Amino acid sequence: MTTISGASRLLDPRMQKLITRGLVLVAAVVIVLFPLSPSASAQNTVILALVLAIGASGLNIITGYTGYLSLSQGAFIGIGAYVGAILATRFPDVQPLLWAPIAGVVAALIAMLLGLVTYRSRGPAFVIITVAFLFLVQFVAIEWVPVTNGTAGLTLPLPDWPDPWGNWPFHLALVVLLALSLTMTWWIRRTKFGMGLIAIREDEGKAGTIGVNAPVYKLLAFGASALFVGMAGSVYGYYLSFVDPIGMFSIITSALIVLSVILGGRGTLFGPVLGAFIIQPVNNFANDTFGGGNARLVIFGGLLVLLVILLPKGILPTAAALLEKTRSKGTVGLSGARLNPLDRPLAPAEARPPAPTGRTLLEVRGLHKSFGGNHAVNDCSFTVPEGSITALIGPNGSGKTTVFNLISGTMTPDRGEILLNGERIERLSPWSRAHRGIGRTFQITRLFREMTVLENVVAPLRDFSVRQLGLGAVSGSEAARAEELLEFVGMSAYRDARAGALSYGQQKLVELAQVLMLDPKLILLDEPAGGINPTLIERMGDLIRALNAQGTTFLLVEHNMPFVVGLCDPIRVLARGAVIAQGSPEQIQKDPLVLDAYLGDDYLLEAPSRSVNIPVVERNPA
Amino acid sequence: MIRLEGVVAGYGGGNVLQGVDLEVNTGELGCIVGPNGAGKSTVLRAVSGLLKPSAGRILLDGEDITGRTPDAVLARGVTQVPQSNGLFATLTVRENILMGAYVIRKQRALVRQRYDEVLDMFPLVQNKTGVRCGNLSGGQRRMVEFARSLMLDPKLVLLDEPSLGLDPKSLTVIDEAVAIMRAKGKAVLMVEQNVRFGLRMATSGIVMESGRVLLTGPAQSVLSNPEIADLYFGGAVHAPVQSDTAANQPTTA
Repeated sequence: MTTISGASRLLDPRMQKLITRGLVLVAAVVIVLFPLSPSASAQNTVILALVLAIGASGLNIITGYTGYLSLSQGAFIGIGAYVGAILATRFPDVQPLLWAPIAGVVAALIAMLLGLVTYRSRGPAFVIITVAFLFLVQFVAIEWVPVTNGTAGLTLPLPDWPDPWGNWPFHLALVVLLALSLTMTWWIRRTKFGMGLIAIREDEGKAGTIGVNAPVYKLLAFGASALFVGMAGSVYGYYLSFVDPIGMFSIITSALIVLSVILGGRGTLFGPVLGAFIIQPVNNFANDTFGGGNARLVIFGGLLVLLVILLPKGILPTAAALLEKTRSKGTVGLSGARLNPLDRPLAPAEARPPAPTGRTLLEVRGLHKSFGGNHAVNDCSFTVPEGSITALIGPNGSGKTTVFNLISGTMTPDRGEILLNGERIERLSPWSRAHRGIGRTFQITRLFREMTVLENVVAPLRDFSVRQLGLGAVSGSEAARAEELLEFVGMSAYRDARAGALSYGQQKLVELAQVLMLDPKLILLDEPAGGINPTLIERMGDLIRALNAQGTTFLLVEHNMPFVVGLCDPIRVLARGAVIAQGSPEQIQKDPLVLDAYLGDDYLLEAPSRSVNIPVVERNPA
Repeated sequence: MIRLEGVVAGYGGGNVLQGVDLEVNTGELGCIVGPNGAGKSTVLRAVSGLLKPSAGRILLDGEDITGRTPDAVLARGVTQVPQSNGLFATLTVRENILMGAYVIRKQRALVRQRYDEVLDMFPLVQNKTGVRCGNLSGGQRRMVEFARSLMLDPKLVLLDEPSLGLDPKSLTVIDEAVAIMRAKGKAVLMVEQNVRFGLRMATSGIVMESGRVLLTGPAQSVLSNPEIADLYFGGAVHAPVQSDTAANQPTTA
């Protein structure tokens, strides 16, 4: 502690930040001033690397943040180049560099068309579609002769600026575009928009249930990913002074862009740029030494294989992980300590359920859902009274979770109606249902594993508006509310931990805090007490009562009978996909049907088997 | 049978286990309890080889298996039933159970015999052998996982929260399954949040907190230890919100 060696000082986070900034600054200065280099071929390499870096930085938004790998990113360089070239030949009096913004907008609009495809496909299918898209664009460029001049290509006028300027205008234009692209990427990561994109990458289905309108997010992401790429393309086309379909829409360009992103590090700000400035020189070297063509393909294929084996996460994330590992070596990690129930204020003990309003908040009518020949939900009908804590119990396989999936919109029913406040919602998207006030947790937690705990809790969105997209991802009042909720579930010490590193029970608690952030009218809890320490189960019961006292309605699936009996009224019992019994806890516990199907004949003779220490007789009489 | 000595391990953000010592013998059932995130599941991961300890030793029948790969540990007769999502969703129940015998797949007669034995033990899965595991409910999946873990006739079975997601009726099946395992001379090391359920079945209780073993002893004595009960097993409910008792208690930390 008293003597700090040089090595440990290097590990100091503040020092690291300083070093990182210094490195970025030096790299930026070198890149900006590069045309001072006497070597024309080196200048050329840097210009190409800049184009590649802009392409990679754009792809980072859809691949790094949103999780869609695209092999058509190179097409947007080509589209930008074509737009610039077409306009430059039609309007010879205008400086061609000025067309860049239009080229960018056109590329962005076409990219959004590609984004529409993500409605229906993801994963490998999407990658193949992007390849097809690339060839389709190339086909248009070849066949639309009146505009594109077909395979002969378009020749642009040579630059009309004074000779001593050399490559400076091209170079500086690309540097500015790269700076803009990086600024946009940095900004997106810090907004609700970026948070939503990462939520989509981590778990698109779950993102819907916390109110993220995935299709709109993805369209905007695709647009953003191509905007500056199109602009860079038009500068690039002018720099080459010749644009043709074969050169512009080569799949090699797209492959180089993907390689840059993966090599540098997906989802990091500077990774794709670093990757581009490594890949482009290697590409030029391969071109010069092996005469291009197929030898180059072998090199890049081999490089990709090596990358996946040695550096699957890319350079920057690997370096960061190594540093973190060295720093935390031998230190004590966060681990769960006892939770003395009395060292934190519990929810007000006098929480009383709200007076029954007599209204029905949720009604399920004649719901059906089959998987193959298996009728998981078979003519299921029940109601959830407004202001109640309703339980849905039943044996394993009786369809409880499927009913939850149908209510929250994760699945669509084959038949039947779901009404929230009298409004039919069974055909609405999950996020619309979330915006109407339905929040849910999952039996097996579905947190966004790569986000921090705090980010997970602030991720839910109560409504959708374009303005909201630009708001800070972790803004003041929301962060304060989120920390309050984390404090309540006893997880505030973990706020900056990666959610994926938490234990099962801890994830359960964070997911509860997350759904509360939506401030829903109706909360669906799927086994809230499963895997949770008994002390916390009791605290969770208190929390549910407190929220209920403020008017939140609950529907919960749970096997912990003492917990259910102490907390819920009414209870609906599900068996073989339909409700077989319903009523108050007293009625349910005596119902022979329920004893037979669910509790077991020995239920009353034996102490409650999944016991927290609430003996049934001591339950809250309210 | 299985013995941990000063095991230190973590996931690369500091150590979660801070030197864990524990022992479970043949025919015994050790049940680890403690707060969420105390490192209970991490102990199981260290034993099964999914996580490499940075210090300490893990001995199986006296043999040092510290840092061995999961398949090497499996080959020595240790199987694990994970906390969640351990089944191949697109394979049938039968295929999933047979996957438990993958390393002995050449010994067909043995595999067939074990398969029949295992099915007998778990009547709940008997009439579902042709169903894809993705179409099973959470509790049914658990049953299949148990069945699969016994296909290798292991010496030691690691159970991570066996009661999770099971309905009250099915819980008795775990009782039976565990009783069968013990009767066949297997050691069981189990993590369980449902403390009473776990300790009732167990022979020894292991209380963990903050990555250390705080206390071990016969399950009954752990269960009835008033201080432990108060601190870990929902004391607030046990003695309903009596702030004076808690305030008067000597601090145990």
